[in-house]
Amino acid sequence: MGVPEIEDAKLIFNFGYNGADSHPIVQRRIVRAKQKGATIITADPRVTEAARIADIHLQLKGGTNIVLVNAMCNVIYNEGLVDQNFIDTMTNDYDKFVEVIKKYTPEYAEGICKVPADLIRKAARTYAKAPTAMILYGMGVCQFGQAVDVVKALGSLALMTGNYGKPASGIGPVRGQNNVQGACDMGALPNNYPGYQPVTNPDVQAKFEKAWGVKLSNKNGIPLTHVPHYVLEEKDPNKQIHAYYIFGEDPAQSDPDVGEVREALEKIDFVVMQDIFMNKTGEFADVILPSTAWNEHDGVYSCCDRGFQRIRKVVEPPKNVKTDWEIICEISTAMGYKMKYKDTEEIWNELIDLCPNFAGATYEKLEKLGSVQWPCRSKDMSDTGTVYLHKGKFTNPDGKGKFYTADWRPPKEVENDEYPLSFSTVREVGHYSVRTMTGNCRALRNLEDEPGWIQMNPKDCEELNIKHGDLVKVLNKRGWCITRCNATNRVEKGATYMTYQWWIGCCNELTIGSNLDPVSNTPEYKYCNCRVERLDDQKKAWDFVQNEYQDLRKRMGIRVVGKEAK
Amino acid sequence: MSKYSRYVVADSSKCTGCKACELACFAEHNKKSNGVGFTVGTVEVPVTPKLYLTKLEAYCMPIQCKHCEDAPCLNACQKHAIYRTEDKQVIVDENKCIGCKDCVMACPFGAIAILPKSEKGTFKLQKDKEVVKVASKCDLCEGIEGGPACVRVCPNEALQIIDADCETLAKNIRAAEGLYASRF
Repeated sequence: MGVPEIEDAKLIFNFGYNGADSHPIVQRRIVRAKQKGATIITADPRVTEAARIADIHLQLKGGTNIVLVNAMCNVIYNEGLVDQNFIDTMTNDYDKFVEVIKKYTPEYAEGICKVPADLIRKAARTYAKAPTAMILYGMGVCQFGQAVDVVKALGSLALMTGNYGKPASGIGPVRGQNNVQGACDMGALPNNYPGYQPVTNPDVQAKFEKAWGVKLSNKNGIPLTHVPHYVLEEKDPNKQIHAYYIFGEDPAQSDPDVGEVREALEKIDFVVMQDIFMNKTGEFADVILPSTAWNEHDGVYSCCDRGFQRIRKVVEPPKNVKTDWEIICEISTAMGYKMKYKDTEEIWNELIDLCPNFAGATYEKLEKLGSVQWPCRSKDMSDTGTVYLHKGKFTNPDGKGKFYTADWRPPKEVENDEYPLSFSTVREVGHYSVRTMTGNCRALRNLEDEPGWIQMNPKDCEELNIKHGDLVKVLNKRGWCITRCNATNRVEKGATYMTYQWWIGCCNELTIGSNLDPVSNTPEYKYCNCRVERLDDQKKAWDFVQNEYQDLRKRMGIRVVGKEAK
Repeated sequence: MSKYSRYVVADSSKCTGCKACELACFAEHNKKSNGVGFTVGTVEVPVTPKLYLTKLEAYCMPIQCKHCEDAPCLNACQKHAIYRTEDKQVIVDENKCIGCKDCVMACPFGAIAILPKSEKGTFKLQKDKEVVKVASKCDLCEGIEGGPACVRVCPNEALQIIDADCETLAKNIRAAEGLYASRF
């Protein structure tokens, strides 16, 4: 499916996806679909914008995703709402799947996920009966210790209702970051070459060795989220990580349990940071390489719907600032492998010739069509890419869709007497990711700035004797931060939410780094526990926030100008 | 010319809370006086929109002045700093305003805020060095080409200018059509 099709969906099932804050441009399409009569079902613990305009809001308790999905499948199975013909001809493993979901009656699920049984029934029936239904899922699914299971279960929900291979149907990961699809497509993964070709496959290895004229390793690399382990806990010096080259990323702000990340960055012998502005990771860097921003270089970008698009330079970068690819070439050459390209098109041509699924996506085609969704295997202009990945048959070797779901695994760290609230990270409109870009934009800083907010139910605020806007201390066993209280009925009692971009109100001081999904290695950003404490001396707290912020900016060499300079 | 003043209302079912209206409002009103251009780097003063995104459990929409026909703010202002234009829009004269806040108290919608006054990128100061603050509210982008900036930029077309006269007529027609159709 493609992103523009969202507007034509008859039913949109938003699962753990808050488009209004993470991707306002995609949310616009959801709003248009609604205007055109689409039914919206939203599963989210908060009243997000997608939940507010939804026909059915399944306000589940955080960390219980799979229980809700299994229960919806249970209803569809028991009430005979399945697409039996599709299941018989197009899929495998249905019986095994049914065995798992049998237990998850709506009543059983209600006990865990706190969504009323009848509402689960209503949502399941509405989804199953829609002529075409589209599932959109976001980080509310992916950032849990049990994440890939839920993705597969949502995939199975679409399988059992035959919602594949046709317009405005299927299941769409709306991804967490801009061009994260592109990063994966280009092989920025520890186990793949570009185009999802495994490093462990000898044929693939031979192909890349021939193309590049070097010996290549057939061993998987280390996932990003395992880095602290390989620095702090690994005893064998040959297996330890000694150098860390970080670009376009700020792990000291974005990774879970930043206390541990700082420890790791301090211990690593050599850190290189390559970015457009200074950030928290830069404080640990031995070398800082300035590089160009998104509008200062050419390239190709992948949208979450597998669509390649050109990006073009619109402004000249400052003098002596190189693009990422030029820096990589020079470093590689300095290290003994001569790498030289004349422009991004030359790199792209080499890449597509080594990736069968991308082979036909030439610059010429990208220019002409605007977007080409892979697989696009032929350079002939008649191959315009693939809108529906699973049309007629699935991409599994036997051409069939595979049912799968699993039993619920609760989050690792839950509420207790000492830390009675749950804690989750979320997004907010206006600031992007870790704010390396938007934090340096005065207009956006003006709209929303340090130390951020913690969203809390007014009842919890009342019990703690704190008011909307008060500075509070948020803490758990890993760390603490100071932020402002945002009292809102949009969140349930007992649950708290913070956005992860603030340097002072830094919620990743609290998040848990040790519960990764076993397949994706994504951390459980969406669940841990915390306690919120009232701060009696508000003035002192504000002074603390201001001073910390100014110090940090000064240490980062941020030139303070105009009205801000005291 | 319309019998009534016009005003902007937002459709909460379309609004996604992106704040594009707030930024556009600020940018339009500060182009001349504060040199705010099209790029973000030109912003030197605090972003002070004249409409306010309001997010509750069931609603999300910007709130702004309705240019009331019997305007409580205008009637409350002892300095005659709030006046009505020929087009019947209710406008604050920032040069006459002393920031007494009577209009803030009088407005039933919270559409007026007291904000620091800046010109050419610097704040105006009083004798005691305190920044001059005056009433600020929607002026329907008076004198700005293209009309209200908020309406123009909303990606979801959630904002529209309401002309009460046209609104009445359109509804009369819809009602008549409904009554006529129901005979068959």
